[in-house]
Amino acid sequence: MLTLAIFVPLLVAAITLAIPKKYEHYARPLAIGTSFVPLAIVIAAWAQFDIGTAGFQLVETTAWIPSLGVSYTVGVDGLSLALVALTALLFTVSIIFPIDDHGKPRAYFATFLFLEAISLGVFLSLDLILFFVFWDLSLVGMYFLIGIWGHGDAQRSALKFFLYTLLGSLALLLGILGIYLYTDPRTFNMIDIIANLPVPAGGLGPVLIFFGLGLGFAVKTPLVPFHTWLPPAHVDAPAPASTILAGVLLKMGTYGFIRISLQMMPETFQRFALPLGILAVISILYGALVAMAQTNLKRLIAYTSVNHMGYVILGIAAAGALGVGSEASRSLAMTGAVVEMVAHGLITGALFLVSGSILARGETYELDQYGGLAGRAPRLAGITMLAAFASLGLPGLAGFVAEFQIFAGTLGVFPWLAGIGLLGIVITAALFLRMIQQVFLGDLPVRWDGWRDLSRAELYALVPLAALVVIIGVAPAWLIRVVDSLSQVVTAGIVP
Amino acid sequence: MVWLPVFVPLIGGLVILALRRNETVARAASVVSMVVTVLAAWYAASIQATGEWTWGAGLDLAVSVTDFGRVMVVLVPVIAAAVIGFAATNSEGDRAIIKLLVVLTWFVAAMELLVIANDFLTLLIGWELVGAASWGLIGHNWRDPDRPRSAREAFVTTRFGDLGIYVAAGAVFAATGSLRYDDLGSASPGWLAIVAGGLILAAAAKSAQVPFSPWLFSAMAGPTPVSALLHSATMVAAGAYILIRLEPVLSVVSWFGPVVVGIGLVTALAGGMVTLAQQDLKKALAGSTSAQYGLMLIAVGTGFTAAAVGQLTAHALFKSLLFLAAGVALHARGTLDLAKLRLGTALPRVAVLFGIGALALGAVPPLGAAFTKEAVLAGAFHAGIWVGLGTAAAGLLSTLYAARLHLLAFGPGPAGEVHGSPKRGEVLALAVLAGLTVVLGVLWLPGGDGFLERAAEGLILAPTLAETVLSWGLVAVGITVAFFAWRRGRLVAFGIPSRTRAFIAGWWGIPTAARVLIVDPVSRLGQWLFIADRRVLARIADSVAGFGELMSRVLKRAVDRAIDAVVWGIAAGTLRGAEISRLVDDRGVDAGVEQLASGIGVAGERSRRTQTGMSYHYYTMMMIGLVVVIAVASFWR
Repeated sequence: MLTLAIFVPLLVAAITLAIPKKYEHYARPLAIGTSFVPLAIVIAAWAQFDIGTAGFQLVETTAWIPSLGVSYTVGVDGLSLALVALTALLFTVSIIFPIDDHGKPRAYFATFLFLEAISLGVFLSLDLILFFVFWDLSLVGMYFLIGIWGHGDAQRSALKFFLYTLLGSLALLLGILGIYLYTDPRTFNMIDIIANLPVPAGGLGPVLIFFGLGLGFAVKTPLVPFHTWLPPAHVDAPAPASTILAGVLLKMGTYGFIRISLQMMPETFQRFALPLGILAVISILYGALVAMAQTNLKRLIAYTSVNHMGYVILGIAAAGALGVGSEASRSLAMTGAVVEMVAHGLITGALFLVSGSILARGETYELDQYGGLAGRAPRLAGITMLAAFASLGLPGLAGFVAEFQIFAGTLGVFPWLAGIGLLGIVITAALFLRMIQQVFLGDLPVRWDGWRDLSRAELYALVPLAALVVIIGVAPAWLIRVVDSLSQVVTAGIVP
Repeated sequence: MVWLPVFVPLIGGLVILALRRNETVARAASVVSMVVTVLAAWYAASIQATGEWTWGAGLDLAVSVTDFGRVMVVLVPVIAAAVIGFAATNSEGDRAIIKLLVVLTWFVAAMELLVIANDFLTLLIGWELVGAASWGLIGHNWRDPDRPRSAREAFVTTRFGDLGIYVAAGAVFAATGSLRYDDLGSASPGWLAIVAGGLILAAAAKSAQVPFSPWLFSAMAGPTPVSALLHSATMVAAGAYILIRLEPVLSVVSWFGPVVVGIGLVTALAGGMVTLAQQDLKKALAGSTSAQYGLMLIAVGTGFTAAAVGQLTAHALFKSLLFLAAGVALHARGTLDLAKLRLGTALPRVAVLFGIGALALGAVPPLGAAFTKEAVLAGAFHAGIWVGLGTAAAGLLSTLYAARLHLLAFGPGPAGEVHGSPKRGEVLALAVLAGLTVVLGVLWLPGGDGFLERAAEGLILAPTLAETVLSWGLVAVGITVAFFAWRRGRLVAFGIPSRTRAFIAGWWGIPTAARVLIVDPVSRLGQWLFIADRRVLARIADSVAGFGELMSRVLKRAVDRAIDAVVWGIAAGTLRGAEISRLVDDRGVDAGVEQLASGIGVAGERSRRTQTGMSYHYYTMMMIGLVVVIAVASFWR
């Protein structure tokens, strides 16, 4: 079943490319329809998922290169299920979101479906080689989306994104091979590796592996100082691509930190948990402070992503600090980190889509060009404010649920880091309120007198995100329970 | 049942929104929803309801209407009913009246959640939602660019305080694995101290204590009813409320009492002088809010929470009254300048009602506010002579400024000629609050202190004869001084140089200090980091990109001659590599590499067709990657 979620979009992507030019206007409805397939599969998987069982479920496996221990294996646990659901949803709304396809609808929607299949593959893979293949291909898909359908200096930004993250994935590849070389019998199977923990605790090898993996994930996440590819990529990317980049691709980095760094080499992770936590706090404050200095809407949101991914890494670092603080605190931090991944995907996804709507109407991201739009476009203002408040962590919205758990949990593990990191939520409050003020409040410049509110297609994309942000903010038990099934395994150091 | 005090105003707000087409009905609905909230709260309090809502492991939102919460849960909507009634009649012609009423109603819902919270998560949710609602209310007239800025200042200041609750929650969880108030007692002393520190920070920010007091000035940007509600039973009340509620546990921490007393005393004295120096009626009232909450903190810190409860209740009633009357004054004169109001002759009824509020603010017996202030004083003297004397001085200040405000704002003046006279509904709202202020005088009857002790589940200390004499004497002195200064026309400025007065009236320069020491450096740091980000850190990415580009240009030159040859060349090269590795590794690295190589061939072929030019980079990096793979596979045995 999970396999279908990967291959149906992949197949349709190929079909879309083959559509004759005469019928190319069917590409969009076809893509929208197709994107509901993974979504339906994820919902079915969620329904079947048993939160009482530790470890992976709905596993499908078949031999690929048996001599090397490479197999095609997919499956989910509490972590990947949440991320796969997020991925499927974000792709559906991003495909629905109206955009200028530069007269190449077939290529655009084919690339999107291709990237959807690849992204689902990253989170579903339970084989390191399969994981790496998907990981690397995700760069290709995003590279084309930014390079072809971006604006501004898109080619250059796409290239920078591509080469920099590719360098990161080389480091990752080395790390993966390193783990492989410790396995006996040789295998890339992630379930086996997590169960047997072949990498020893001491020695130079594990440390080098950890750093290789860490570099790969830190570039992707991104953690300061490896984040500089992110702002230009976001600023020049088309809105739906930004949504996918922030909502899905960044999560691959944090997913890797949990799934590979933490779960496959917990003892080494524990040794470096504190430095990682410090790096996370630097990201939190740095991202927030630099975001505050922005005059460009999209770059502002991009830097708040650095800030938010810092929260995620802080939670993961605290969760992986085995032996420090209570197990309940570490579990809380881990759950918070995963919920933050989902929350950030929904919230920042919405913010990037909204910034696309603003660009389509105003043709600039410069904040000081706007003002007073709340009177002209109440729906646009309402959804943006909701997303901005969610992003600054207002209770009743998804971001708070995550940030509260991260900070409350981390405080029992690294009290000082949590205390310093908390300052980030004051800065984000200040910068988001300023953003709202500059764009939506105050005087309406005369030239925006004809400003249109959100269209129906835009609302179809945005309302589901906004609704989920509220639902998770008020009643997150359904999500937390699924994620908890992972957290308890990881933080207790129990082998599933 | 326990959730009703939250849900009724929450749904009430939605109903108002749904009725927005018919403005008269919507206005009525706002008042009705508050009255229903009072009834719901009363019922929940009478059955001492409890409940919870589960989020996840260790995350239960626990609520209960117990202890002091029983008083507070009713007090909030009672005052809100009067204030919203005032708003519903007053703000005619305000296009956004519906929005104002909706957010006011939700403000009450958030405050009720804060009041019934029985654990730190629920507390934090209510706490921050109250702050967010206040942002919306202060920035109500959002078309004026200054108001959202004031709203932001207020929100960010109080949010800094909110961090204290995050810290407290994390500490409780770390210590006990639970977030409930009930489990706080089992926390170890170290963690408990962190909880106490966090809550003091949060309470000081919310209750506008030094050094956070100036945010109340920013909050003046909101319409009058907003100030009336924000300064009385909601928002600022939250800080004192949570300290009162948790004092029994927190007082175990040795420094808790002295620190709270210190903050309260400093604020009471400094705020009192701010109020005396202010020439703007609303800002003066705002200064007095800080000062009055300072008195409550003194009561909490000295351990007599029942006195604080009495003071909080009395203050909520008279302060909302005073603010609403100040709104009437603004409407009548078009200014809040104390030198220009003198509305006593023009608006005699409002003057009387304001007078009742002023008498309460000045703690004149037999009003209830006088009873509670004496109890605070008694507790302060119990804690030490200097605390007692300081509190007495703060009391003198409050009588003095109360008399000053009344004489200047509603003293005798020119008759007739006002811009707008108050509507009947407005006067009714004032009268209800004044009536309740007078009724609170029942506290003087025998059993009054026992009643407060039961309501607060805390202690109160009956003043000694000497303390009563001192207290009443100071009231008399305050009124006399104010009266004679007024007769000589020196009540506005007291003959103090205007620069000194402006410094004190502007909260002792705290806003400037905050700007120079915190806000500006932080935003400059942000800008500086951004420059560094582009000039230094971005170079890393640029150099990687540059290297890749160089490599791919080299490759492209070759490819230009024969693209296919190169693509398949890579594949062939990889195969060669596989062969080499087969020699060294008999486990069969070859098969994998072979697969990869042919995969690259196919992928390369396809991408060349779709987007020639961009694909070279990928080949380049992939080649480097393959070299690495092969090298590792070959050299590792």
